[in-house]
Amino acid sequence: MNITAFVELHCFRPTALKSVQRQTHIALVGSPNCGKSTVFNALTGLRQKIANFPGVTVEPAIGTYTLSDEPASEFLHPTSSTSSTPAPRTVTLIDLPGVYSLLPKTPDEELTLNVLNGTHASIPKPDAVVFVIEGTNIEKSLFLFAQIARLGVPTLSAVTMIDAIKAGGGALDDIELERQLGVPVIGIVGHKGVGIDLLREAIEACDFREPLLADNEMLTQHATIEEQHTWAREVARLVARLPETDAFTRRLDAVLLHPVAGPLVFLLVMMLFFQSIFTWATPLMDGIEASIDGLRELVEAGVPAGVVQSFLSKGVIAGVGSVLVFLPQIVILTLFISLLEDFGYLSRAAFLVDRIMGVFGLQGRSFVPLLGSFACAIPGIMSARIIPSRKDRMTTILIAPLMTCSARLPVYVLLISAFVPATFVGGVLSVQGLVLMGLYAVAAISGLMIAKLFGSTFFKGSTLPFLMELPPYRFPAWRNVWITAYNRARAFLTSAGTTILLLSMILWALGEFPHTTPPEGSSTLQAQQVQLEHSALGMIGKTIQPVFAPLGFDWKVTVGVLGSFAAREVFVSVMGQVYSTDVAESNETLRAVLQRSISLPVALSILAFYVYALQCMSTIAIMKRETGSWKYPAFAFAYTMLLAYGASLAVYRVSLWMVG
Amino acid sequence: MNEIPVGGAVRIIEYTAHNEFTERLREFGLIVGTEVKLLRRAPLNGPIEIQFGHSQIVVRPDELAHINVQPL
Repeated sequence: MNITAFVELHCFRPTALKSVQRQTHIALVGSPNCGKSTVFNALTGLRQKIANFPGVTVEPAIGTYTLSDEPASEFLHPTSSTSSTPAPRTVTLIDLPGVYSLLPKTPDEELTLNVLNGTHASIPKPDAVVFVIEGTNIEKSLFLFAQIARLGVPTLSAVTMIDAIKAGGGALDDIELERQLGVPVIGIVGHKGVGIDLLREAIEACDFREPLLADNEMLTQHATIEEQHTWAREVARLVARLPETDAFTRRLDAVLLHPVAGPLVFLLVMMLFFQSIFTWATPLMDGIEASIDGLRELVEAGVPAGVVQSFLSKGVIAGVGSVLVFLPQIVILTLFISLLEDFGYLSRAAFLVDRIMGVFGLQGRSFVPLLGSFACAIPGIMSARIIPSRKDRMTTILIAPLMTCSARLPVYVLLISAFVPATFVGGVLSVQGLVLMGLYAVAAISGLMIAKLFGSTFFKGSTLPFLMELPPYRFPAWRNVWITAYNRARAFLTSAGTTILLLSMILWALGEFPHTTPPEGSSTLQAQQVQLEHSALGMIGKTIQPVFAPLGFDWKVTVGVLGSFAAREVFVSVMGQVYSTDVAESNETLRAVLQRSISLPVALSILAFYVYALQCMSTIAIMKRETGSWKYPAFAFAYTMLLAYGASLAVYRVSLWMVG
Repeated sequence: MNEIPVGGAVRIIEYTAHNEFTERLREFGLIVGTEVKLLRRAPLNGPIEIQFGHSQIVVRPDELAHINVQPL
């Protein structure tokens, strides 16, 4: 057997795809974990757009790149030859979701199948396929190849991780592999860029050919899974001598999946994860807020007071600020998760916690998105993409808003510090701290119980049981990790960001109009209070206050609650506004004013409301984006409001009874 | 299948049920005749990690009740 570890070059050969036309669609196909995204990122860099196809929840990434210029004339499409300067030819690369087979079992697999068959509504049928073969598990990839080959699409194949084959003392006979498959084979190391130029050249030179498996007696149209696997196993044995299992992976797993050490390391990693979101994001968020405040002051100083000034400072700038402030958490969380994912630890973590998540009808992979939601539900919901099962992904997204995010903290801190005595139990445990912890615990436990309920009702029996590959550990490709974070941030800004901005302007308008002239000689604070009271927001608050009356909310609290539909922490500033006169006159803090104006049962009732209510338009916007429809955010909003109302009512009544 | 000790190896001899899940297992490469090794069990009686060929997968033990195996 002629064994070489690397594919060197390809001589010119007649190709099945005649030329790269002006708009060529090439699909990147491969099994999950085969290194497909790394290849995609290496080929396209940041020239990607995340396509938002209606109803598609896992969007295939679309990347375009313009071919390197001065194309040899024979590659030109006939129509372009009339022009003296030919239009640049672009290749549109579609990164289809990884599939194990073409017998689809998940919506992602269905998407891939539809695109390949040319039956997808909005994605064109690809002209050619770049098939990615996982170098460390050739049999698995060839099984899929046996099915793809039947489609008769011109194909080029790339074998990833050839460095790992070599490092493990194995070897790959690429010439034999080419002969067996009938398509060109290029060996690459995606994260190091090895072979990427060769791959790019091959794509430009249209080095695609139709697979030659048609006359293979084992692979008839009706070949069974067993026959396809037997063929794949046979070819894999013929072309590659692979290391048994990666020694590094074996040794690391002995520690990371050890019955005792494993969970300990897991806890440590999660603590680091949690800490990093808070400690690293906080200074950045403070910085963003400070710059926004600075900008607002500039506008307030430079623009004459009036509607224009108010619109700019309280509508536009505040709105932009409320969008940007999420970025640090989104970026940090995404970086951390994609690092762990690329390294291979995320699957291991899922393996370790699967039993516990299983109690609540979820799978191990839901853990990290839910943990992330304690910082902020937005990156948490976005990271739910790491959950392959649709049922678990949707359930996780639906309960993510119940994990206590950091935006609730200002509300909790204000009310707890005003109403819970700052005493210590046994001289050590702060009662205020205990109450805060209780709020976190109640929310998390309720969320998990609701997950159980949803899993056994709506999503009942709709998906496959837990089944996951543990890929070998790999050194994370930094480029990949950065591109993922960049794409997440961009997706948030373009889709959720615009919604948030629009809603904050609407909220501003509701607070600003109709305009009221404050009584002669009133201070700025009094003017603010009068304005808010007579604004549309104030009116709405007063009108719907009877709805909240059973919870003990007066119109002022109701306005605060309404205001926080933009974002929870707005409650604090709205309370500051509605009580601004009291604060100004009594020369007290807002906390002291609240202590006088609100009774303990009402304060507890407000706390209970904030534990559950999905008062965050950003979460709603991102939920719509990630689930592909308004159905899920509408449902999440409805169920959390019901819970909030019920919990609030119960807490209010019980505490009234206890106090009284 | 769910009674193999950690470190034990078996050969798949038959599937006693046929559904989407068993089809997926076969697509992964767990076809009749395949040798499978149980690498470890997750804490608290959680999922198990099995190895066959160059694949390592984790699955909840109860889900494998429909596979008959023969110890090696």
